[in-house]
Amino acid sequence: MAKPPLSGIKVCDFTWVWAGPYCTLQLAHLGAEVVRIETKTRPCVTRMLPPWPDGIFDGVNKSGYFNQYNQGKKSLSLNFKHPEAKEIAWRLIKQSDVVINNFAAGVIDKMGFGYEEVKKVRPDIVMISLSGYGNSGPYREYVAYGPAQVPLSGLSALTGYKGFPPMHAGFSYADPNAGAHGAFAILTALYHRYRTGEGQFIDMSQWECAMDVLAEGILEYTMNDREPERVGNRDPFMAPHGIFRCRELPEKVMDVVIDQWASIVCATDDEWARLARAIGKPELADDARFKTFDARKRNEDALEAIITQWTSTRAVAYVVDTLQAAGVAAGACADNKYLCEDPHLAARKYWVELEHPEVGVKRHCGIPWRMSGTPCQVEAPAPCLGQHTDQVLEALGYSGDEVAALRKQGALD
Amino acid sequence: MAGALSDLKIIEVGELVSAPYCAKLLADMGAEVIKIERPGAGDRARIRGPFPKDETHPEKSGLYLYLNTNKKGVTLDIAKPEGMQLLEQLVAGADVLVHNVVPPEMDRVGLTWERMRRVNPGLVMTSIAPFGLSGPYRNFRAEDLTVWAAGGVCVLNGGGPDHADLPPLKAAGSQAGYQGGVHAAVATMGAVFAHARGESGQHLEVSVQESIASQLEMTFEYWPYMKMIATRLGQKPLQPVETMQCKDGYIYLCCIEEHQWRNFVAIMGNPQWADEEIFSDRLKRAVNWDALKVFLEEWVGQQTVLDLYRKAQARRVPFAPVSTMGDLLSSEHLRARGFFVEIAQPMAGTHKYPGAPLKYSRTPWEIRIPAPTLGQHNEEIFGRRLGLSSQRLSELKTRGVI
Repeated sequence: MAKPPLSGIKVCDFTWVWAGPYCTLQLAHLGAEVVRIETKTRPCVTRMLPPWPDGIFDGVNKSGYFNQYNQGKKSLSLNFKHPEAKEIAWRLIKQSDVVINNFAAGVIDKMGFGYEEVKKVRPDIVMISLSGYGNSGPYREYVAYGPAQVPLSGLSALTGYKGFPPMHAGFSYADPNAGAHGAFAILTALYHRYRTGEGQFIDMSQWECAMDVLAEGILEYTMNDREPERVGNRDPFMAPHGIFRCRELPEKVMDVVIDQWASIVCATDDEWARLARAIGKPELADDARFKTFDARKRNEDALEAIITQWTSTRAVAYVVDTLQAAGVAAGACADNKYLCEDPHLAARKYWVELEHPEVGVKRHCGIPWRMSGTPCQVEAPAPCLGQHTDQVLEALGYSGDEVAALRKQGALD
Repeated sequence: MAGALSDLKIIEVGELVSAPYCAKLLADMGAEVIKIERPGAGDRARIRGPFPKDETHPEKSGLYLYLNTNKKGVTLDIAKPEGMQLLEQLVAGADVLVHNVVPPEMDRVGLTWERMRRVNPGLVMTSIAPFGLSGPYRNFRAEDLTVWAAGGVCVLNGGGPDHADLPPLKAAGSQAGYQGGVHAAVATMGAVFAHARGESGQHLEVSVQESIASQLEMTFEYWPYMKMIATRLGQKPLQPVETMQCKDGYIYLCCIEEHQWRNFVAIMGNPQWADEEIFSDRLKRAVNWDALKVFLEEWVGQQTVLDLYRKAQARRVPFAPVSTMGDLLSSEHLRARGFFVEIAQPMAGTHKYPGAPLKYSRTPWEIRIPAPTLGQHNEEIFGRRLGLSSQRLSELKTRGVI
């Protein structure tokens, strides 16, 4: 069997929180050896956050958040207050292909591992900085936290119900978006290095990556000098185009009623006619209020009310199956439980369920692609903090005695 | 200096966002991309706009013009046998075929890996599909909204304590398509790199639903770890992490760490109410948000966005403006970094577009040519490159193949 695409590629990973780890997760998925440099005095933020198997924080290895985005990586725990720790990091850098961090501009330079220094020992290194604002410009040292990057990017101003204030995306979207773009950039630079032997530095701004996925809103402004209106779930070229209330689940979860929703879209008049038949109201297909796209758009409130009347007494799965059978785009508005139990994802073997020393076997999200020639799979669960310190040091040429001495001196956190 | 991918040749059979965005990422790094569109109407993105002066025109759609920079455009009906043969000829000379032809249509026209491999064993064929190429939802009809929702993100957004009746809310734009596209670009480059290192060509598939499900922050794991459902409803776990109105727009307050809150209180001039027990830590501020909100709204409402943003950042508090499009275009920071690029296209005119997602020290990101008009490069590609005579070209045109 062929090896995964990045087998033999070594990544020295100074990242933390989400954007950076999401980037190096893609590289680990492709088979690279990713070594996360961590410290016990300041563990990754996500190690300290829920969810935890017992519902409370009792140790840095049990967070589902950390364990999701660090699958297949190694953890090397160093104490940078100790000079020997820097020497270890330098040895790791010397034998790495990629060095990555997601600190604000200048931080990695202050740590002593800036590109100018790294380049001296590894001229062909591919180095990337995934900062919030980028490495130049007047705001380069500004602090960027995941949730705030969504409004900063412009996505919030575009997102929201009609007539309501701007809304969020519901998660720190700019982080994984930056991580995925960063992984793409690293791969292009590795490809260039493979052809020419040349390394390089990549300056990435999470803000700019986020604007690259907002072209419709930005172009509305640059073409017509006008701020786009927020229109909820509606669409300027399709109707119906929305998320409709379905029957609630009969059981409550932790005493909470779980509301249920399905998304429904008709891209053409023909699809509308099929929807009308599927919900038992074939006469609506020829109803002057709804027959054409323009008519449906004019009468969208009434249109949505009619669909809601049908969906609200039916289970999500019934709504989706009925409309799909009629050739209409519909889907569950999935929550995490629904996804976790989705037979489609199970059939596609999307889940990763590996034995983790502290949380046991838990279901995690897997790799969103499949390769026929160089298959990718998650080889190991996320590491416990410092789990691979000895192994990594040994591979760097430290003897057992030297490792013991480093530990005694306090260089290994 | 040429772009990092300047020796790669890509064939794209793409519509709307996912495959076109994937190919754009490659094209803007230097790859040659030949984009194949249906004769007649072309890519659906051509009729989605936004359009200058709101005039719907297939050569003036902002979305299309953005997603198809640096590509050469041909028209070809791959459902016709002669069209499929021409596709095979193009693929024979390419490194990558990227497409988002949906699985039932792949079956109908016979677009398969077996077929493409026969003409080019070194090919990387990237198939992007809403739900992947296997499984019970393989043939589901899908639009961007339905995949975004099925990926598990809509349910995290919208509503809120005062509006639990409102539906889950999509993020603006075609976000499912963009995420499918960028994840496909990652996987494609992985396979291209493997091929450069001696592996054979291969078929890879990317599920857009899975691309979204793999980025749900910590919310997915709440079910496997704690049997809890993550929802947009109810109070936030800590505060203030909220949008609020200033005199001249909205700002996003973001005090996640305690020191950030203390610095914000100092910026507000240490008002007395901030000493109240009920606001003494981030969890209590969340529980007592209704009360806190009233104080904050009153003070924040007197400020201007940029002034508060700068004051907060000066104290390392990660506030951010809720940027309007106008704010982005006039941002001194983005201007200094040269983010927006002007692109002139003969029919739509000259406009500013979002620019490079990344700045490389050595290999440039650059716009070499604007997006193609429909069939603009038919003669160059089919005639000069594949050697079809002008008589043959006009025959194919008459039969609707090109």
